[in-house]
Amino acid sequence: MTTIPVVYVKGQYNHLIVRNLKELGVESKLLSPSVPLERLESMNPDALVMGGGPQSVRSPDQLTGELADAAQLIRQVKLPMLCICVTHQLLATAFGGVTEAARKPEFGPVEISVIDEGRILEGLGPSFTAWESHNDEVVKAPDGFHVLAKSNNCAIEAMRHDNRPIFGVQFHPEVSHTLKGVNLFKNFLRIVEENK
Amino acid sequence: MGKRLSVAVQGFHPSSFLSEETARLRELAQDKKVISAVSGGVDSTVATLVAREALGDKLLPIMIDTGFLRAGEPERVKERLAISPTSLKVRLVHASGRFLASVKGEETAEEKRKKFRETFYQVLKEEAEKEGCEYILQGTIAPDWIETQGGIKTQHNILEQVGIDPATTYGFKIIEPLADLYKDQVRTLGRHLNLPSELSERQPFPGPGLLVRCIGKVTKEKIRVLKEATKIVETSLAPFNYEQYFAAVIENRFAKDSSLKAISETAREALGLPRSEVQVEVFEDRVTGVKGDQRCYGLLAGVKLSEESRETYGWLQDRLRQLQTGIVEQFPEVTRVALLVKERRGGGNMSILVRAVSTRDFMTAAVSSVPWKILKDIGQQVLREENVSRVYYDITPKPPGTIEFE
Repeated sequence: MTTIPVVYVKGQYNHLIVRNLKELGVESKLLSPSVPLERLESMNPDALVMGGGPQSVRSPDQLTGELADAAQLIRQVKLPMLCICVTHQLLATAFGGVTEAARKPEFGPVEISVIDEGRILEGLGPSFTAWESHNDEVVKAPDGFHVLAKSNNCAIEAMRHDNRPIFGVQFHPEVSHTLKGVNLFKNFLRIVEENK
Repeated sequence: MGKRLSVAVQGFHPSSFLSEETARLRELAQDKKVISAVSGGVDSTVATLVAREALGDKLLPIMIDTGFLRAGEPERVKERLAISPTSLKVRLVHASGRFLASVKGEETAEEKRKKFRETFYQVLKEEAEKEGCEYILQGTIAPDWIETQGGIKTQHNILEQVGIDPATTYGFKIIEPLADLYKDQVRTLGRHLNLPSELSERQPFPGPGLLVRCIGKVTKEKIRVLKEATKIVETSLAPFNYEQYFAAVIENRFAKDSSLKAISETAREALGLPRSEVQVEVFEDRVTGVKGDQRCYGLLAGVKLSEESRETYGWLQDRLRQLQTGIVEQFPEVTRVALLVKERRGGGNMSILVRAVSTRDFMTAAVSSVPWKILKDIGQQVLREENVSRVYYDITPKPPGTIEFE
């Protein structure tokens, strides 16, 4: 069985990620970002998903609480990783990208244009509707990442690492109103299987 | 084949859930009496049925009449649950005077919710003492603790998850059999327990009830008007199968901040209408929303179009969506946008807000396309109430709004 813990950074939809994964037959539960690395390893996880949260990511040295811990996990864990919303911003910042207050924040339904399916968005192009809720956004992707999708308001809606299975998405694939969100999780699971 | 099996939500198996949970409950209760707090809603009814499987007649269902229930509801629920297949003997506890007194003078949503929670558990504490119960069972589900823990809003039934120990504060412990489930999973479980569809598919009603649909200060008159409007809205929208639909009441007091005039300009641009056709007013009382996973206790913008434009734009969902996102993107203080459906010059000082959404799990919600004609009919009926002069339709999805207003 595939095991994918979900790192709980206090976002409302974190528990819905667990639900999505369970519905796809994955063993999953919420995990505190302060979990010691040995304990995480003892669970034999095949991948990690990180959810959204109410905190703000502006600079890597000003992270507090859950996000400081989550940033540690992002740097230390060598598993396939999917980072959603605030942890997508955290992923960018941790690898040297830039997150700032969005000029036009997005709440509710947003049209996403796919630039490159990059495997994680396979079958979702040329565009799809996703639901979002963010005041900040990634304005510069880190070196070694490339941008997979954008919206009218936000230039970096999805990105991936050039050669490792690490992905970030600004939108929420886990909410039921993102109709094709489940496809994104299926794509991620396929990548996880290949990585085993 | 004969009997049709209930269709399981993938990943959730009602029968294995039931056997695990009943075993856990038996272990926990150890043959002692347990009070179950019921409201007639699907969550507490299903939680109670699960517990009855485990505890039999050691389970004592009670319903608190908070005074914020719909007209005639406590009696209706008691009667309905008494008959087969639920066959629950519910004892009514009348406490409406206490609840009204406890929220008197409170204006903000969170204070009202916290006062309600306090009174709710005080009443339960007294009942537990009377019965000599150590445990109270309640129908908490996942979104309740997720929203409370995340600071979006205080749900009346959440204590432990926010660091309040019920045992030391109130002298009883809490059991929540459904705490990891979402509404659709609870409904699946309800169908598995042979709950008739009128109960398993019942539209949700918040624990604090009409209290959180009475925006700002609570008065007896506001609650009375709201009960009337609730009847009209529920009757008119029942045939449409929206997951949630209801009325709320707010006083017509508007902010005078001149910078808010810019909102009219944004609205005009979003709709592509001349200045004379669009007017935006911002209510003084705040409403709850959620932006970027943060609670946003913000402003409600009421958009008024000239009668002719209203006739056209009332039908144009895409345009209304642009209107709503245009305003919320540009004005961080504004959480929600409502469109005026109908008004009566010289009427009283209250507005009724109509809300209808589609949602699977109540974590996100899309605005339902209620036919404009139906909204106008509702407006017509509601405006017969002397104290109401305006009827609006809320055009805000969740996020950035929430489903309820407070």
